[in-house]
Amino acid sequence: MQDNFDSIISRNTLLWLLLTNVAVLSPQFEHATPWTTAICAICFVWRMGIYYGKVAAPPKWLVTSLAIGAATTLALVSSQIGLLNALINLLLLGYALKYIEMRELRDVKTVVLVGYFIIGFTLLNQQAIINTVHLALVAIINTSVLISVYQDNHKPSANLRFSFKIMLHSLPLAIVLFVVFPRLGPLWLVPSMKSAKTGLSDEMSFGDISKLTRSDELAFRVGFENSDGSTLGPANADLYWRTLVMENYDGKTWRQDPSIKEMQRQSFYQPSKRPLPKTEQLSSQKDAKQSSLRQKTLNYVVISEPSHQRWLYGLDQAFSQDNSIVELPDYTLYAMRPLDQRQSYRVVSYPNSQMDTKLTPKIRDINLTLPPNANPQTWRLAQQFSQQYPQPKARINAMMKYFAEQAYYYTLSPPAIGNEQIDDFLFENRAGFCAHYASALVYLARASGIPARMVTGYQGGEYNPKAGYYSVYQYMAHAWTEVWFEGEGWRPFDPTAMIAPQRILDGFDATFDSQNSYLLDSPFSTLRLKQYPWLNNIRNQIASMDYYWSVWVLGFDEQRKQAVLKKLLGDVSTSKMAIAMLVCITIILLFIAYFAGLFERKPKPDRLSRRYQAIVQKIMLKGAPEQAQLPPLAYAQALSAKWAISTPQWLPHFNQFSAEFVALKYQQLTTEQRAVHLRQFNRLYWALRLALFVSKPK
Amino acid sequence: MRLIPDAAKRKWSRWIGRRLPPQEKVTLSHKGIFILPSAFGLAWLALIVLLYLLGTNYQNNLVIGLSLLLASVFHTCILYSYKNLAGLTFNAISPADAYAEQAHTFPIMLSGHAKQKHRDTTHQQICMQFIGQRHIRLQHTEEQTIATVQYDNPKRGLLTPGRIKVWSHFPLGLFKAWSYVDLDLHQVVFAAPLECDIHLTSQAAEDNNDISHGKIRPGVDDYTGLRSYVAGESLKQVAWKQWAQDKGMLTKEFNQPEGAPVWLSLADTQGHDLEQRLSKLSWQVNYLAQKNQIFGLIIDNQTLTQSSGESHRIACQKALALYRPSVNFQSDNHLGGQNAG
Repeated sequence: MQDNFDSIISRNTLLWLLLTNVAVLSPQFEHATPWTTAICAICFVWRMGIYYGKVAAPPKWLVTSLAIGAATTLALVSSQIGLLNALINLLLLGYALKYIEMRELRDVKTVVLVGYFIIGFTLLNQQAIINTVHLALVAIINTSVLISVYQDNHKPSANLRFSFKIMLHSLPLAIVLFVVFPRLGPLWLVPSMKSAKTGLSDEMSFGDISKLTRSDELAFRVGFENSDGSTLGPANADLYWRTLVMENYDGKTWRQDPSIKEMQRQSFYQPSKRPLPKTEQLSSQKDAKQSSLRQKTLNYVVISEPSHQRWLYGLDQAFSQDNSIVELPDYTLYAMRPLDQRQSYRVVSYPNSQMDTKLTPKIRDINLTLPPNANPQTWRLAQQFSQQYPQPKARINAMMKYFAEQAYYYTLSPPAIGNEQIDDFLFENRAGFCAHYASALVYLARASGIPARMVTGYQGGEYNPKAGYYSVYQYMAHAWTEVWFEGEGWRPFDPTAMIAPQRILDGFDATFDSQNSYLLDSPFSTLRLKQYPWLNNIRNQIASMDYYWSVWVLGFDEQRKQAVLKKLLGDVSTSKMAIAMLVCITIILLFIAYFAGLFERKPKPDRLSRRYQAIVQKIMLKGAPEQAQLPPLAYAQALSAKWAISTPQWLPHFNQFSAEFVALKYQQLTTEQRAVHLRQFNRLYWALRLALFVSKPK
Repeated sequence: MRLIPDAAKRKWSRWIGRRLPPQEKVTLSHKGIFILPSAFGLAWLALIVLLYLLGTNYQNNLVIGLSLLLASVFHTCILYSYKNLAGLTFNAISPADAYAEQAHTFPIMLSGHAKQKHRDTTHQQICMQFIGQRHIRLQHTEEQTIATVQYDNPKRGLLTPGRIKVWSHFPLGLFKAWSYVDLDLHQVVFAAPLECDIHLTSQAAEDNNDISHGKIRPGVDDYTGLRSYVAGESLKQVAWKQWAQDKGMLTKEFNQPEGAPVWLSLADTQGHDLEQRLSKLSWQVNYLAQKNQIFGLIIDNQTLTQSSGESHRIACQKALALYRPSVNFQSDNHLGGQNAG
């Protein structure tokens, strides 16, 4: 039995739909193609027209052909804009078109559900606190549409208030669920966004890192979790965030080895994991203590900003239990999915363990290969070193010393370089930055017969003492080398440390004037506030909030969940969890019921009515008839009629009392009149109480 | 609903009848309010699952958070939909006359109590219907609201419409909260009035004479002469012919002495079936009562003595409405005028 009036969309709902449309679609603006934006805008304007009664609803064929046209165009451009983007656009178009052809209530409901889904998609790449608050507001607006359908009050403010109330009431349970709900790994491979990549790339020529040093963007943050509870990490000079290892050099550009690239491609299907360092596994009971001293581990959480790349950052030698992370044989970490959103992962590092004590001939070969017939001067220098220092270790140390003793300069804007890159740098310009020195060292080492490779990553980190974490910015990008020694494996060498030791010991900011490097291109960067202590303090506070948000909300994982539950419940057993959940839900239910006004009793009758009723009850005990629905004066008359012959003493009092009651209750009285009547009423009340008490029962 | 076997329905109906017995005044409470998710509620749950999968696959806690928030909203709505009905009191008000085959409305007084600050979240959009009948939707249920619940096409006789189903989808349409209110309603449905000539017999109960049952027609049809028209008189009795001849407005006067007994009789009413005859009588009863005439009613062995006024009209209509022909009396009843107690 469905009547028409149930499916008619009220004007108030239409207004809410207009608001919701803008609220839901606007945050997706950057993902929408121009076509999508145009169609959404047309639909919105058309709806406005319908709302103001200027145009009729569009014919069905128009909507259908628009939908088919839009879907076809999207299918054609999907390879350009990426599958996920195409899907989002399709969703947006569907939303806009459904919105315009809405006729019935169920269409409204569909639009609302799709609205929530779009909000979910928006959350995929907008995760800052401010975005979350914004999208929560959008969700409230979206809910208001439904409320406007079912609420009598057609004032938008009332709808909004109630929507807010419902969301607020739902928040506690949502938080409890958020804590206890299981976090699963990704269930299947999903398409990712195509976005401009930031940060390090898997190719490095001299210009690249210099570009990064101009960027004040945050690359990632690290929170150390030491066993003693402190959050301090190693000294700045030990903070080498290894990211990529490059072994191929063609005279201009450093690249990753194809075998590593292949493993990266296969990572989802054949996730590779490295065995944990041997010394740890071998440690017998006897030298456990000693080995644990030697085999110090570092536990930390990295919160990476979206780079849309897949390489991750870690100190030497990084291992991760996370099953969406693979450990590559070059001792780097690699994510199965691109970092399209802020993402956190746990790392355990073994700083003192050895890397690759044995080299396969193939890898050895790769790390000795140099472009033929290039940089002859450098070759000659390398030959000199190998004659002078037959010991590989001594030779590398001599090379390092060479950089320090000769007149080399460290600069972020080096002069232009010709075709023979290393020769030009080493013998002509004699000025450059980390990439130049690292390239030169690898070149020299390889030319003298020692396997060596290039490592890129970040060096240093800014410590936030409030929240206890390190921030690593893009301008901290760095390149250094690893040299392989028989029996020792790969050892890091940083030639930059010889030229600009300050850069390594105290960090980037100690060496360079920020105004001329990373702040050059960003006049409004908050990092400028560093000069003013109290402003810097505020900057740190905001940054800390953002950090906590990242760790406790965005990065809330199974391990944190266990830690929180352990702290709250002691040990985490299923029965204890179940009881705790039950208690939580009950408390929340009571809380909602209280605020929804479910415990409110019927309003008590006021004092006047109570007194009147009390007297009536007493009179009824004396044999008076039921008052039933009689108004007070009529009842008084009925009593007079009943006792017309033998009038009880108190009856005239009661008639007067009834009159006073009616006067006080229903007449418009001034304050003075009211006071007079009230005094009379109370006097009669007590008189009647007394009279009824002494009079004989009938 | 069609899939549920009849036996289960009957069992359910009996259980409801025991749990929510007929009462003059019913206040909804936890005892009688049922809440189940609507189709939209199920779609909402599907959305929650979808968002959870999205969040899991993209390892995004905020999307998971959104899905859990929506799940929590679902939970919150249970309470609000309960609260929307709880505390609502139903009271039947005496209804207007009901005629067969005409939509009849039962006025029901709804009274709720809500503090000012909960006014917008309590007793919103209450729908009511008799089972199998059209429903109504109430807006702005204040302290006291009168709802008129429809009952279409009632049959002549005693109507017991049964339970009223009361429901709402407030606040988000995720749940349907419903209850049954049995106010022990019953209503005599009068025969559908059918316009016809007034057909009165002069047969008085006291001159119970077999010969004098020949029909003479005192009352409306007994024309005696003309007199001048008095404002307010029925236009039906204006002598239009004379008016057209420019003789002025004149009223036809009939031989209708005040208090002259006139009888309506089922036996003397023509019609192709009983229902039609009753319908004609029903119309005549109303007409005569409206004219403030004195008349009596004879149906088979039942006689309502001459009287006038509203209570008489109701008594006559009730007699017509509740009339059941008995086969034995049918044959010798055409004479009418049986003097039955």
